[in-house]
Amino acid sequence: MTAERLSFAASAPLTMGVELELQLVHRRDCDLTRAASDLLALVARARHPGEIKPEITESMIEVSTGVHTRHRELLAELEAIRAALVAAAERLNVGVCGGGAHPFQRWSERRITDNPRMRHVSQLYGYLAKQFTVFGQHVHLGCPDGDTALWLLHAFARYLPQLIALSAASPFYQGVDTAFDSSRLNAVFAFPLSGRAPFVLRWDAFNDYFARMRRAGIVESMKDFYWDIRPKPEYGTIEIRVCDTPLTVARAAALAAYAQALARWLLAERPDPVTEDVYLAYTYNRFQACRFGLDGEIVDPLTGERRAIREDVLATIERLAPHARELGSRDALDEIAAVLREGNDARWMRARHADSGSLADLVWQQVERLRGVKRPPW
Amino acid sequence: MRELFFLPDIPPAAQLPWYALLLLGAAIAGEAIERWLRLPRLLGWIAVGAALGPHALGALGERSLAALAPLLDLAIGMVLFELGQRVDLTWVWRNPSVLGASVAESALSFGLMYAVLAALEAPPLVAAAAAAIGMATAPAVVLAVTRDLRSQGQVTERALLLTALNSAYAVIAVGVLLAWLAREYHGDWRAIVLHPLYLIFGSLALAAVFARATLGLLALLGRRREAQFLCVLALVMIAVWAAASLKLSVLLALLGYGAATRLLDRRRLFVSLEFGRLGTILLILLFALTAASLDWRLLAAGVFAGAVLLAARLAGKIVGVLAFARLSGLPVRKASLLALALAPMSGIAIVLTHETARLYPQFGASLAAVMLSAIALMELLGPLLAHFALVRAGEAAAEAPA
Repeated sequence: MTAERLSFAASAPLTMGVELELQLVHRRDCDLTRAASDLLALVARARHPGEIKPEITESMIEVSTGVHTRHRELLAELEAIRAALVAAAERLNVGVCGGGAHPFQRWSERRITDNPRMRHVSQLYGYLAKQFTVFGQHVHLGCPDGDTALWLLHAFARYLPQLIALSAASPFYQGVDTAFDSSRLNAVFAFPLSGRAPFVLRWDAFNDYFARMRRAGIVESMKDFYWDIRPKPEYGTIEIRVCDTPLTVARAAALAAYAQALARWLLAERPDPVTEDVYLAYTYNRFQACRFGLDGEIVDPLTGERRAIREDVLATIERLAPHARELGSRDALDEIAAVLREGNDARWMRARHADSGSLADLVWQQVERLRGVKRPPW
Repeated sequence: MRELFFLPDIPPAAQLPWYALLLLGAAIAGEAIERWLRLPRLLGWIAVGAALGPHALGALGERSLAALAPLLDLAIGMVLFELGQRVDLTWVWRNPSVLGASVAESALSFGLMYAVLAALEAPPLVAAAAAAIGMATAPAVVLAVTRDLRSQGQVTERALLLTALNSAYAVIAVGVLLAWLAREYHGDWRAIVLHPLYLIFGSLALAAVFARATLGLLALLGRRREAQFLCVLALVMIAVWAAASLKLSVLLALLGYGAATRLLDRRRLFVSLEFGRLGTILLILLFALTAASLDWRLLAAGVFAGAVLLAARLAGKIVGVLAFARLSGLPVRKASLLALALAPMSGIAIVLTHETARLYPQFGASLAAVMLSAIALMELLGPLLAHFALVRAGEAAAEAPA
């Protein structure tokens, strides 16, 4: 069995990388459209940084950056990838946009990408696989070893509601206002292996757990866990998976840099004890964040205090300030502070929809927002 | 009998049995073809039309065809409007090579068909008119096949755009050539210049006026599917009538009307159009009646020349589309499939051929036979090729559960 043990590839601490799942929409009706393979074929011909890959359905595409230490460089790479993608999409007359879920697509219309892994997922999960047409941002944070990775993973649990509320961008789903800021995570919770990682702090112990799960035939690889945060041993990172894909790459870069600053603070100051208790109010807090966004009220698992997520973020930003200065990500903190003032993407989407009364028009504005064009006033 | 005043003197609803016969036959044949042969339903509709038509069983005589004619006009109008709605003319601006492919495939298929017809010793102007007619892909077939398969992707989108464009080229070219022919006949040079100009700009102006009116009306109605549908249906009827009355090109006017409503609709007032069941009924009538009016005996008369003509036409489309494949960002395999999807030949070609033959007897019965047998061949082959192309391109929707 030793051959099957996962070895944690060390990576430079506090490095970060971002993956974004993006929507491909038709320019006429703004519904999701099958375009991924055509788009990938065209993008492959041009030189661009990062990676652009297929996802579970033909209406989805995933972009990922390289490894970065600086917010500014991460943002520059994301913008370059965005530019390459948008240029190709324009030539194929397809729209690309952010957002955690498509506002009105019918999941039964989706088509599973034709490759072995996706076919397997589709066979195993049935309609869940198609309902999983949701779009998330994943943030990777580098860790020097497996033990640090597990400690950081559990220390982060207390702050996940912040990331959910800040990134939430899926208020509409299947044509209705869900009342949630992030309806996307509800689609994730339906999977049997979603939720949180088991509370173990040593990589050896985690390996034992993984080996037992595999022997029992429950999982084959780490990919089968759909946890909110999971270790990614081959990269030497922890992967935060709760964020909706934001509507702009600037927001995506800011969220990653915020997580990076959080990690630096947590590792440097170890502000809270990390015990199983951090999961006391976990699912309740997560629900509050999904449902109410920044207005959600979370319970501090250690003190039992209630406070609005908005205030929690504000307090955290203050503590992160010196760390952000060191990391060169003050701009990112400013963007996060702006989200607190102006509201998250879900709020923007609701306001746009209230304006025009049309979900299709909302999607089109999302396309323009990702591309970075201002809408003419008429 | 006074107390029975409500009974009519003549049998009411005299036309209804004809509609019923057509629809019933089309429903059964369409499903049979779909279920057992896994081929597009519209082949069944065509077969029923051909079987019932005056040239075969004769169940539908010339008179009943005439009775169904107004609905046929509406069907053509709706098809053209929907096609116009579904194409995005601004694409050409973002990817000029798509326009390049369009011009190349039309010009090459025109040139090659002209060569074939010239070799058959058709007079130059007449050969040119026939070749121009042949440039067009059938809008109704492409629309029906993409709807039937619920296909999405580059081949689908480009087939729709290139169909709209080559149909427009065909109308304009035929207009110009007919004006030349007219001069040879009547010796009036003004017709050469003014007639095509009237045809093109008049049709486009009509399209713009109707598009503005439609969007104005939609702004009042709001995004209500039912109301929008009725509204558009009514306006399409009026537009067809207006274009025909003004002797403009119904094709150009209605295509332009659809395209302009999309182009000018900045606020996305237009909820995506679903012609749904009514659309299907209109398509059935369109295909069945077109097939009924075809004289299939001509097929035998000109089958060889017709086949050569079709081969030349297809070759032109393949070379034209492939030449711009890479530039326009389409893999060679998909470009070849796109060319096949453009194969269907237009029912409008029948009208144009008959019209040309009637106006200009030198068009000649033999040339008309060649054209009509080519069209008849494509009537069955075209939908098959388009269906095959979209399925092989992987753009058809997965099987929907019953």
